[in-house]
Amino acid sequence: MSAQHYLLRNRDVEGIDRIEVYEANRGYAALRQALKDYQPDELVAMVKKSGLRGRGGAGFPTGMKWGFLPNDGRSRYLVVNSDEAEPGTFKDRELIEENPHQLVEGIIISSYATRASEAYIYCRGEFLRGAEQLKRAVKEAYDHGYLGKNILGTDYSLELKVYRGAGAYICGEESALLESLEGKRGNPRLKPPFPAVAGLYGGPTVVNNVETICNLPPLVTYGPEWYTSMGTEKSPGLKIMSVSGAVKRPGNYEIPLATPLRTLIEEYAGGMLPGRTVKAVIPGGSSVPLLMPDQLDTPLDYESVVKAGSMLGSGGCIVLDDRVCMVGATARLVKFYREESCGKCTPCREGTYWMTDVLERIEYGQGQLSDLDLLADVADNIAGKCFCPLGDASLGVLVSALKHFRHEFEAHVADHGCPMGARLYDTVNH
Amino acid sequence: MIRLTIDGQEVTVPQGTMIVDAAAKLGVDVPIYCYHQALGPLGACRMCLVEVEKMPKLATACTTAVSEGMVVRTSGPAVDKGRRGVLEFLLINHPLDCPVCDKGGECFLQDYTFEYGPGGGRFQEPKIEKVKDGPINPFVLIDQERCVLCQRCVRFMREYVGEEQLLLEGRGVETVVTTVEHEPATSQFTGNVIDLCPVGALLSAPYHHKGRPWNIEREESVCPHCPVGCTSKITAREGHVIRMEGRPIPDREWGWLCDRGRFGYDFGYHPDRLATSIVKGKENTAAQATRQVAEWLKTVVDQEGGRGVGFIIGGGHTTEEAYQLRRFAAEVIGTDQLAISRTEAGYLPRGLNGTFDDVKQADTVVLLGSDPYDTVPVVHLKLRDRLLHYPALRVIGLGPLPLTRDTLPGLDVLVPPGQESLALALAMAAQWPQNSDVQTLVGSLKEFELQGVTAQTLVQLGQYLQGAEHLVLLWDGKEPEMAMVLGVLARLREKPTAVLPTFGPANWRGYEHAGFSPRFEDLTAVLEKARDGEIKILMVFGADLLREYPNRQLVESAFNQVEYLVVEGILPPQGAQHVDALLPGAAWAEVYGTYINMEARLQVAMAGVQPPGQARPIKTYVNTWARMLMKPLNWDEEWDPFDDDSGDLLPFEPVPDHVVALAMPPEAVGPMTLVTGAFIWESGQPSEILVPRVPQFPGRINPAEVKDMGLSTKRGHIMVSQGSESIVVAVTADPQVPKGILWVPQGLFGTNHLIEGTVTISGVTEEVTV
Amino acid sequence: MKPEWKAWAQEAKNEFPRANSALMPLMHRIQLSEGWLSNETIRDVAELMELPVQYVESVASFYSLFHRQAVGKRVIHVCVGLSCALKGSDELMHALEERLGIKEGQTTEDGAYTLLEAECLAACDKAPMVQVNLRYEGPVRPEDAERLLSEEVPS
Ligand SMILES: Cc1cc2nc3c(=O)[nH]c(=O)nc-3n(C[C@H](O)[C@H](O)[C@H](O)COP(=O)(O)O)c2cc1C
Ligand code: SF4
Ligand code: FES
Repeated sequence: MSAQHYLLRNRDVEGIDRIEVYEANRGYAALRQALKDYQPDELVAMVKKSGLRGRGGAGFPTGMKWGFLPNDGRSRYLVVNSDEAEPGTFKDRELIEENPHQLVEGIIISSYATRASEAYIYCRGEFLRGAEQLKRAVKEAYDHGYLGKNILGTDYSLELKVYRGAGAYICGEESALLESLEGKRGNPRLKPPFPAVAGLYGGPTVVNNVETICNLPPLVTYGPEWYTSMGTEKSPGLKIMSVSGAVKRPGNYEIPLATPLRTLIEEYAGGMLPGRTVKAVIPGGSSVPLLMPDQLDTPLDYESVVKAGSMLGSGGCIVLDDRVCMVGATARLVKFYREESCGKCTPCREGTYWMTDVLERIEYGQGQLSDLDLLADVADNIAGKCFCPLGDASLGVLVSALKHFRHEFEAHVADHGCPMGARLYDTVNH
Repeated sequence: MIRLTIDGQEVTVPQGTMIVDAAAKLGVDVPIYCYHQALGPLGACRMCLVEVEKMPKLATACTTAVSEGMVVRTSGPAVDKGRRGVLEFLLINHPLDCPVCDKGGECFLQDYTFEYGPGGGRFQEPKIEKVKDGPINPFVLIDQERCVLCQRCVRFMREYVGEEQLLLEGRGVETVVTTVEHEPATSQFTGNVIDLCPVGALLSAPYHHKGRPWNIEREESVCPHCPVGCTSKITAREGHVIRMEGRPIPDREWGWLCDRGRFGYDFGYHPDRLATSIVKGKENTAAQATRQVAEWLKTVVDQEGGRGVGFIIGGGHTTEEAYQLRRFAAEVIGTDQLAISRTEAGYLPRGLNGTFDDVKQADTVVLLGSDPYDTVPVVHLKLRDRLLHYPALRVIGLGPLPLTRDTLPGLDVLVPPGQESLALALAMAAQWPQNSDVQTLVGSLKEFELQGVTAQTLVQLGQYLQGAEHLVLLWDGKEPEMAMVLGVLARLREKPTAVLPTFGPANWRGYEHAGFSPRFEDLTAVLEKARDGEIKILMVFGADLLREYPNRQLVESAFNQVEYLVVEGILPPQGAQHVDALLPGAAWAEVYGTYINMEARLQVAMAGVQPPGQARPIKTYVNTWARMLMKPLNWDEEWDPFDDDSGDLLPFEPVPDHVVALAMPPEAVGPMTLVTGAFIWESGQPSEILVPRVPQFPGRINPAEVKDMGLSTKRGHIMVSQGSESIVVAVTADPQVPKGILWVPQGLFGTNHLIEGTVTISGVTEEVTV
Repeated sequence: MKPEWKAWAQEAKNEFPRANSALMPLMHRIQLSEGWLSNETIRDVAELMELPVQYVESVASFYSLFHRQAVGKRVIHVCVGLSCALKGSDELMHALEERLGIKEGQTTEDGAYTLLEAECLAACDKAPMVQVNLRYEGPVRPEDAERLLSEEVPS
């Protein structure tokens, strides 16, 4: 367990959401240092060297992403993705609600590094408090000369604005986010062109996750070597894992990457609730396949989790215990994707609807054995055929549940109902 | 150029081409719903999955651009399964009601399901219920349950037409296409979504439940209502035209129609349609009526010679019919008193006539008195298309009222009515002051000052005229001198300069090609000769002169004076009491023939139905008369309107280079000027289907003037007077219209009782519907 | 149209001058004061933004937080995401339904409450999670339903 927090410093410092406290605790020192000691390109090089990877889900190397911006003189945008809505993930909310200045500082450093002259935080509509905290922090930062014209007396200027979404998970997908930020329906865009070339308002744009950007202040303060001293070669540094489910202490935990899943559950999260055992773990948000109890020693780094058959994703770790009905749990997750499909492409729109209905039918005891193959085949017809990754995301848990817990599905069919008696499903309007 | 292989065949296409279009070039059909070449890629339906070597997943052929050496397979186990899957998805919430669907038999969902789809259904869950047969407007119905959400309709209206009247509402599987709060869509182009819809979601209301693929016949045709002559297909059933669709022509036409054209096909079944001959007010047999007319012709020709007979053609006749009539007039009657019914005085020499290809290349468009949205709607769409491909398109309106629009933005130069040619000439004089032709043109305008137009504007206009790489001018044909000014401009510019005439009648070029004089002076001369007693028998074919000719008094005195007035047509003309013999004619879709459109392009329209009752084509009439007059016509050698060298365009003719000075305009006198113009809803034959869409208050006037008359509403009736004549016009207050201008569609409200120019107006107390 | 909306529209446009970026901020602000977006409001917003009504309606209908039907004074969102469901959000929803005498998606007759389900609210550590007028409250166990309803309306 790390004694000291780097990203979740709000855990250590009371009132750090206020600028005075933040400043008193080395706040904005990294920014001063960045502006004073580094040219933008040097910062990009530093981020490349640190090996920092995007924490929004895909784990794409951040320095490399910044390097894609074309050098064509157009003004650039940095957009911070704070649309966190992947079931099981709740790290960004804590970061913006409890320590907004850290994000603001990270944004200013990142914007300086990418030579962006305007930055936006796209904040999930449900995050009313988060948006208020951010707006207040942004205003304080302006008042203290960290934003606006000639930041800290340098010739670097930046405008930062907070924009609220209005309830649509798909707007976490970067191109849908940009559409939404332009005041449109949140449908994903055709790529290419990628945001780096034609993003917000058609200009070159970097989209990064909140947590990704929050890494910048400590990175500048402690240097890339500090960062690479943690984790693995390909997955260096720190990651916040959101743990929920049947553990004693659900919550966010800052871990060095490659910390074993078991450590996360047993030490950080305090172990399982009394009398419960692990049935399966969704390690990286609702779209990734299950890890089984015999995989608890999997190190939580991008490569190892992939090797174990899943993905680290956004770090939303849902621990399912022996009392959970896998059919009900799967149905619940697939229904989420049905509710949140934007409706643009056929397989995602219709497929998630179909799968949800079939899963609910099985859960309610009206399933047939053939439904299991049907689900697998419908999933196959969605896989890799959708406009954006949301369709595939709906399959992660389903496909692995069908693989590891087929007997549970079969039992539902045989018993004409849920053998666990789990009432996981009752709110659905039947 | 990029070379790639599709299904083992090599093909070379320009960079940026999508796989689907490259495949089409090879005749390889990739199934699509959401993609449409005019709208560009969307990638929503996922129907067009193909396999591309080295790509890990199936690719959508509509969004994947070709690359050098690419190897594409449009079938195979993975592709087939992918397609089957997508089709199955599209069908799960589809009501599967093909037997009662108008699109049954002409539906992509049916076709593809048959070709690639799953054998049986595996979906057992309840389907989502949505709106069925909901109205988009009086002409277009939507069945949301059949919709595959390809967004073609929404994108067409929003991106292509620029009138966002259809929308996606909701999200995910609940998404529907609808109109806002069920307000009817008012755009001129809504019907195109019926053709665009690949399934049975958007339907034609007038065609609803009228036909099935096995009991209809489709024929290629051309829309007869305006000079665009859009390529179309008619659907006929049991002797009636029951539908009109657009007909795309590869690389030339997308097949768009305006709503006026698409839904106005029912004029042949108008309750007033002539189906019997009427002689001296009494119904008669066809044989007797024809004989009677032959006798009159014989009497007049015997007494006066052939020149005692005048022929005027108008309406929707084909070029061939005009030719037959012209030969009858020349060879049997022996007269050269032939004219075309015209409303405008201008004539465009063939040599200046551009084509729609010019629109596709234009960088500058000048609208001379004509707003294409109202006069030639599909040309407005063609300009939109150009604007989408070339956003820098410069549009300039030149006329008494603004001619650009939100959907076609540009600069408007407002000039007093009747002074467009002067404005153009003055702009040319600013740009080419040394040119002798220009000097001649403006020679007598030294003292003249164009009202409301600054010298600076003229200089700017001149620069635009010279700077344009490819100049297209749309001309309303009102000012005859314009042709001469345009001729000078074309010679000066030495770069492509193309004029598109927006005036009618739709087939005037065809009548000209057949040998009728297109000149307005000749029409006036025929009418004057009739008035003066030189012409004893006036033979009018398809024209409604009392409505069309701008000076009604002349027509009335001609009608009063002639001994015999013979009118052929499909509907009774105005002033039927003057007509001695009224002969029912065959209408569009009832005769095969060619029409020549505003590009001077010949296009063939097939016949799909028989004329009703006694109605018959011109050829039958002239043959009978010729036989009765003992001079049978010899049709051995069928006339071919197409030219061997120029194909479907009329042969080019040099532009006359005769230049004279433009006259000083008369001093403006009154505070209110009447201006008339073409208006698509009033062009061509009246349609009953269209009645709910035809604007009831089509006149336009500045709101301030309405207020001055004490009319509080936005619409109302006003009395318009000139000398002893007055008419009542239904107007809408329109802030776009400058003060002092009253605009009225040609042919409506009896405007031709008045001469365009100064009028006085006053409010009418009569109750007004709003 | 309320007189102040014009100023709000202007402020939104000043802050987000490009594309239609001012649209959602304006709708948020109006909804905050009106509770929901009626057809008339959508028309007014369209006018203020100089956008087609169709466009505004289409955008508004995409986002689940824009209410196109009247809602109660307190809008209760019960998270039904997996983590909350594991902790009894279904039972909580039932308890609220019973207590309020309405079903999910409905508004009480007196216009006091609207009960809605929410997808994962990103607060799974405090499951079952509820939002009252978008203010987080959690965990709210089924037996806490009564307490939730008796609390002051958060501003
Ligand atoms: C359906 C979908 C939802 C997503 N939601 C989020 C999200 O809520 N937050 C986020 O940071 N990234 C999300 N992403 C990933 C973003 O598209 C994008 O990759 C990310 O914001 C990039 O930031 P990073 O490189 O810093 O990770 C989502 C992607 C998809 C396909
Ligand atoms: S633009 Fe003219 S020719 Fe084309 S459909 Fe409309 S009326 Fe017919
Ligand atoms: S035609 Fe390619 S996705 Fe629709």
